[in-house]
Formats: sequence, structure tokens, C-alpha cells
Amino acid sequence: MNEKVMEGSHAISEAVRLCNVGVVSGFPITPQTHIIEAIAEHCSDGTMKAKYINVESEHSAMAAIVGASSAGTRAFTATSSHGLALMHELLHWAAGARLPIVMGEVNRALGPGWNIWTDQTDSLSQRDTGWIQLYCEDGQEALDTVIFGFRLAELVNLPVMVIIDAFLVSHTYEAVSVPTQDEVNEFLPAFNPRIKLDLENPQALNQMASPQYYMEMRKSMQLAMETVEDIYDEVEDEFHDTWGRRYGSVEGINLDADVVFVTSGTATTTCRLAIKDLTDKGESVGMLKIKMFRPFPAKGIQNALKNAGKVAVVDRNFSFGAGGIFAQEVKSSLCNLKDAPVVFNFIAGLGGRDITTDTFFEMYEKVNANDIPQTESEWIGINEQELK
Amino acid sequence: MVSEKKGMKLENTVSLFISRSAHRSSEMNKTGSWRFSLPVYKDKTAPCSAACPTGTEIPRVEMHMSRGEVRKAWEKIIWENPFPAVCGRVCFHECEGACNRKNLDSAVGINSLEKFIGDIALSESYTFDEVEGTTNKRVAIIGAGPSGLSAAYFLSKLGFLCEVFEKESEAGGVMRWGIPSYRLPKNILLDEIKRIEELGIKIHCNRELSIDEFNNIKNEFDAVYLGCGLGASISPGFEGESLLEEGSIFLKRVESEKMSLDGQDIAVIGGGNTAIDVARSLIRTGAKATILYRRRKEDMPAFIHEISAAEDEGVKIVELVSPTCVKHKGEMLEIDLQEMTTGDIDSHGRMSVRPLGGKRSLIYNKIISGIGNQIKDTWHSPDQNNSKMELKNSIIDITGDTPLVYGGDLTNKNQSVSDAIASGKEIAIVLDLHFKGDSDIIDSLEKCRVGVNAISFEIYRGGRKQYKEFVEFKNVNIDYFDKEDRNELPQISKEESINSFNEVEKNYTFQMAANEALRCFNCGVCNDCDNCRVFCPDASIIIEDGKRVIKTDFCKGCGVCVTECPRSAMGMEEEKV
Repeated sequence: MNEKVMEGSHAISEAVRLCNVGVVSGFPITPQTHIIEAIAEHCSDGTMKAKYINVESEHSAMAAIVGASSAGTRAFTATSSHGLALMHELLHWAAGARLPIVMGEVNRALGPGWNIWTDQTDSLSQRDTGWIQLYCEDGQEALDTVIFGFRLAELVNLPVMVIIDAFLVSHTYEAVSVPTQDEVNEFLPAFNPRIKLDLENPQALNQMASPQYYMEMRKSMQLAMETVEDIYDEVEDEFHDTWGRRYGSVEGINLDADVVFVTSGTATTTCRLAIKDLTDKGESVGMLKIKMFRPFPAKGIQNALKNAGKVAVVDRNFSFGAGGIFAQEVKSSLCNLKDAPVVFNFIAGLGGRDITTDTFFEMYEKVNANDIPQTESEWIGINEQELK
Repeated sequence: MVSEKKGMKLENTVSLFISRSAHRSSEMNKTGSWRFSLPVYKDKTAPCSAACPTGTEIPRVEMHMSRGEVRKAWEKIIWENPFPAVCGRVCFHECEGACNRKNLDSAVGINSLEKFIGDIALSESYTFDEVEGTTNKRVAIIGAGPSGLSAAYFLSKLGFLCEVFEKESEAGGVMRWGIPSYRLPKNILLDEIKRIEELGIKIHCNRELSIDEFNNIKNEFDAVYLGCGLGASISPGFEGESLLEEGSIFLKRVESEKMSLDGQDIAVIGGGNTAIDVARSLIRTGAKATILYRRRKEDMPAFIHEISAAEDEGVKIVELVSPTCVKHKGEMLEIDLQEMTTGDIDSHGRMSVRPLGGKRSLIYNKIISGIGNQIKDTWHSPDQNNSKMELKNSIIDITGDTPLVYGGDLTNKNQSVSDAIASGKEIAIVLDLHFKGDSDIIDSLEKCRVGVNAISFEIYRGGRKQYKEFVEFKNVNIDYFDKEDRNELPQISKEESINSFNEVEKNYTFQMAANEALRCFNCGVCNDCDNCRVFCPDASIIIEDGKRVIKTDFCKGCGVCVTECPRSAMGMEEEKV
């Protein structure tokens, strides 16, 4: 193991280089480009043995990866925002075909207005495609998540999206501990798929399925999804044994506090500072980081939040006409819990606007000022003048 | 710090159910349910079979022949026709005129193939199967011509006991006395007749019946068939006609005498096959032969190839002359001729002629009339007063105690050996139906119909299905057939032809026959080419117990098999839910 200073994008590229990936395909889009750019260089200079397939769009990139994975090779791509949206059809296909693809996804706002900065709405729009979604706070977590993401994907035959924030992770240089190839080889066994295109056993995959069978196929996906939380824990156990790091599908700090923030992505890092400041001032405040959004770890969240006074979910995303997407999921997790805490929902940092410790202080005050949250999500830092 | 358990402990045991072809998806997804019509193996009637007066299933004959299965080919023919070697020589083969192959290059040599098959059957002494069971009914057959002998053959197969009464010294009728041996060698005919006799048929020769004897026979037998033929010449009807020799008598003399007419100049009046046969026979006796015909050459009812063969051998044809008078001129005969010219097309589609005005006279050593024959005794044809069933090839009178059936040249529109065979078969089936008490003979007969005129004995006996659909040329997938020259029968030299009564046409070699049979499209008949199975995109055609079977689980009804069937032996049938 050696420590290197690198940007978050390259932490992902580095992980992919170590994972014995057979095929990579991708199409450039800011702020993802650095990921596949570095991989393309690795393939070109021979430090990576993968076949790199140039394509004309993200739709084709995913199609190529679906083909490669169907043929039984480990495959990777990365995208962001509009690119992810263009891939949408193939995301369903990859999951329905039960292919253990890993994809790097850099959260970026969707236009218009044209905006390249961070916003989770792109990945959360893909929540019903059947992909596992794992959100990361920093470069190290991104590197680690790619490595155990492949392990997880191949154990449950579901694709994994490893998600980082635009620029705040993708373009930010941090010290990252990079595992050795031997360590990764031992942690991540050779890909040995249960079903693949095979010359020795020719078959056509994923053809017509009549109503008589389709529902069972979807139930099969859900059964696999239902095993993910447990297998994720076991994979993390093994990962921890090797490298001494673990993240959990959720991570809680001071969960019995009067106010518990629920965060994801880099807002978590800021939240860590904010609750430290508040705690130092004698406030009762805690934090729950949600790393795994799909499958949604409802039981873990119920368990984590059952003793909280009030819950404040910070969403860097929005579902128009409804509310913050994490908040919706948290609320539905808690709704059948006896004496469940009330859930406040704040919308902050869309389109790359900064979420600072002050943002958390403002939200904390708003929670304390009200016993019952308003029905609608509360947007933080809105310049009302612009809306007139 | 790498622990030992890593990487090996966890196993992928999640539910993993996707559609795939290897096992589950093709079982789960029975694509046959998409189908709305199903391909079926469906034999059809070929145009040759429909055109054949005997309804022989020619595509199957040729299929066997193409495989070298001569015995099977012969067995197929004799279901419908006991005279393959004769018909292979004398039949006017409308089958070839109807052959779909003529639209690609030229018709299959069906007639020649029949001759080859018939001759192999004789040289290999193939015999008819013995008849099992008897009706104990006795049928008298008057006339041992092609219709009478065929009637005896088919009746015997149906268990009737037959006796044939023949006025001549030998059986065969027109085949024996009317067709010269350069077209039909005597031994071929006698061998085929002998094989029929061996079924247990008694043929009484030199038994010309008087009307009294006929009446006795009616009482003695359960049924009587009259196939007496046309025993009298048609009188030409001009002055001096008694100076002419009758064509049929001349042909009989040629068969029985060693005749030499070296250098004589002899005229033949007429344009039918008799006139041609007489003229070609004259050439062989050393005479010079001239045919005098009142219409044009293209109007002659004789077969075209016979006309050209005659001309080839030196027969001269004078068209558009009508005789008006024959008289002695010293040792010679002088014939006065009215010159004719063409008029309008008559109601039969034939060019009419009318006198032009000019006259001329020609001088010959001898003049022979070849204008045709007519009925000899009135009792040979049905009683005008009785009600009768008039069928395609026979007339049935069941008004008396003994059914009387009439066929052959007496009843047939086309006076040919093949039509005579059709008569014999038709009356055999009709009598069988009659004695079985069939309530609707016409309808029962219709169920055995092939094409328009023919009746199939094999269908009657349940050995072959009746196919209503016909194969037209457009139904044949000619992508599978290359143009290929027809194999013609080799011929003896012209010198040998005109100096002897040796058969002009020789026979195919085995290889030629097989090659010619391979030219047959086998219209409407599955010949196991296997295209359907090979082309099926769903592997839904399999071979079970040597037969192709369409499996319906995955057949989407795409119809590729039907399209790729070269010979239209398949079809699509709509499926009703």
C-alpha cells in the first residue's frame, strides 16, 4: 500500500486499473472525463490489459459494456448527468440481464440551465433501474468502493453505481491510499460468471419472456437486491480485514441527539464539522450518512433514527412536485415505526451551490424553531427576488 | 495483513432467473403461440397427372426412377395402366404438353421414361401381384383391344372372373393390327398381354360374336363389357371408291404378310394417324408414298412428330386437295382432285376449307384410304331406347338383368390407347360399385377423379389420396432447378428405318433414364429433398420414423419451409383458435 495525492476521478481510474477489468468503454463528459481519460491512457501504455472501446455516445458505451459483461468479462464505464440520462435504457438492460457491471458516476446537475456542478438528481433519477447505488464522500472512499463494488456486484449479479460529487470529489486532490495489485487480486477473485455467452455452451440471452415468466424475473432481481445489505456487510468485513477501512451502508454519529442530520456525498464531510462545532457549543446534534441508496437500507435507518429527537434530511436533489428524494425514502422507512421522529427536509446546494457549515447552522435553527416540519421541503438560501 | 479467508468465503447464490435459449427460455417461450397459420405437408396434383387419361401419378413414378427404383416406378404405373411398355411407345403423351418444366426449358421425357420402365419390367419379368379374393361374378368382355384387356385387368384385380371374346386370331385389337411394328414391336405387346392373361383371364380368339351369341352371353354372365372398337372403314363417298384399299386392312396385311411394293407409287387419302401409319409402312415396303389431304398440313389430326417423321422418311404430303373420282388408267389408277383453299375457322376451332376452282389428276399404282373407321354392328353400341349413365370414358346400361357397359373407341372422344385404358378402368370400378350396391355411383367415381377426365384405381383402392389442388408453374420454386437439355431417345439410322419394320426409337440407358427422371420437378410430391427441414429457422421440423414432422411448439408459421419447398408439396393452413 502506498499513499498518493490524486484527484477523486483518478482514485476511481486507479481502482479500475487494479481490478483486472477486461473491457472499458466510455464517452467524455465533464466532470467525469478524467476517469475514462486516465483509463484510456492506462490501456494505451499497457499498465492495464483491458480492451478500451471508443464509442459515440453513453448509450453505446453502456451497450458495449453490457455485451462485454454478457461475454463473461469484468467491465467498467463512467459517466455523468446528461450522459447518464442518455444511458437510461441500457441501465435497465444491464440490471435486467443481471450483469455485474461497475460504473463510476459523477453527480452533476442536468440542464437547462447548462450547469456542470454537483447535484444528485442525475443518479437519483435512475433509482428504479435496478442498480445498486453507493455514494462516496471522498477519493479514498471512491477507490475502495470501486474495488468492493466489483466484489459485491459479482456476488449478487447486479450492477453497481459508484457515485461521487462533481469537482468536490472528482477534481479535488487528496491523499489516497492505493492497494497493491496482489492485495486486490486476493480480495477480488477472477470473474467467474454463472451465466455468460459461451462457445462451448451456445445460448441466446435475454430474449422474449412472456407474462407467464416476466414477473418471476423481476422478483428474482428483488430477491437478489434483498441480499445486498447482508452481503455488502460481509464484503466490507473482508475489505476491512485487508485494508482496515469500512464505511457501512449507513454511518451514524450521536444518533440519540435531539436533532440528527441525514446526509450523503460531500455534504456529509461538511456536516461532520458543523455538528462538531454545535456539539462543542453544548447542542444535542448528530448525523446519519447514507452511503447505500439502492437497495435502500430501511431497517438500518429505522434502527439508526429510532431514538433521534428530530430528523433533518439534507437533499442536494429534488423530485419536482414531491420533495427531496432522500427525505422521501427516509420518511417511508420511518412511517411505520412507533413514536417515529418527525422528519424535516431541506433542499440545499443544487447545481453546485456550496453547502457550508453555516448552511447546517441555519438548518439546525429552523429545526429547533419548529416542533412539526412543514409539509413541503424547505429550500435553503433562496434569493426570493429572483422568483418574482 | 492479508487474511487467509479472503475472497473465498463468499459465494454467489442469489436468485438468478433470466430468459435464455439454452434451456429455460425456449421452454418458457413457446414461440409456436405466435403462429396464426401452420405449414402442412400437402401433396397436390401435378399437371401431368391431371392431363394423363389414366391419371397416373407421374411425379412419383419419376421420383422413383430418379433414384433408380425401377420396380417401384413400374408398380406406381400399373396401379393405373397395365400397358407401360405399349403406352411408352404409342401414347400421345398429353402429360408432356402439360409439364410445368416446359416453362423452364422443355418438358420431361415422360413418355420415353414410361417406355424405359415398361421395358425393364418385361426384361426383368416383373409380374402382377396375384389377386386375393373373388366376387364370384363373371364378366364377359367383347373385344381384346386396349379397353377390353384393361377392363379384364382392373376387373380381375377387383376379384371378377373375366372371359374375353376376340374376333381376330390374336389379342391386342388396334395395338396388334392398327399400329405398325416400327412403332410398337409385336413382342412387346404380346408380353404385356401375356402378363394380363396370367391374372387368370381367358381370352377366346377367333370368336366373332353374332347378335344371338351376344344375347346368350348376356344370360350366361353377370355383366358384359363391349369394347368392340370401330370395325368398319368410313366410306370416302366419291365415285370409284371401291377401287381403294382400306387403310386398316392394309395395316393388318403389312403385319401378317411379307409385302414388297418396290418402286410403286402409292397415294394415301387422309390426315390422321392411320394415314401416316399407312404411308410410313409403304415406305418400308419399298414404295413411294404420297399423302393427299384436303386441309393444310398443320390441320392434320395426326401427331406432329409422326408427320415430321413421315416426311423425314420420304413421305410426300399434298395439301388442300379433295378427291372427287378414282378410275382405272391402264394398269394404274387415276385420281381427280379438287383444289381447296382455306376459309374461316369453324366452330371446333379448325380451319375450314372450300373448293378453289382448280382441278388436277394424279396417277398412282395404288390408292389407300386412311380416313378413319366406324362402328361395325349396331349392337356394339348402346341401345338408343334404354336410359344410360354416360360417363367420361364409358356408357353404362343397367336397365336389363345383365349390366351392359360400353367403352373404348365406341364411347371415347379421343380414340387412343390411353383413353381406352381409362375406359377399361372406369367400367371395372363402375361394375364393382354396382355389385356392391353403391347408391351413388357417379359420386363415388368422382371421389377417384384425378384432374378432369381420369379416374384413379389407386385412389379407389385407398392407396393414394385425392388431391384437389393443382401445381402450376408459378408454384414451383425454380431457384432449385437449372436449365438442362432433355434426354431424347436415340434412333436407329434412317436407312435402317426405311428399309425395315424395326422400331425406330431405341431406349434410354439406365443412366439416361435416371438423369431424365431427375429433370422432373416432382410437382406436388414430397421427394424427401429435406429443404423444409434444413431451412426451418426454428428447428421445428424433425425426422421421426423416417418421416418429416412439424413440431408446433416453436413453429412460428413463418412459411419459409413452404416457400423453400421446390415442388409445392407443402402449404399453409390457417389455424382456428
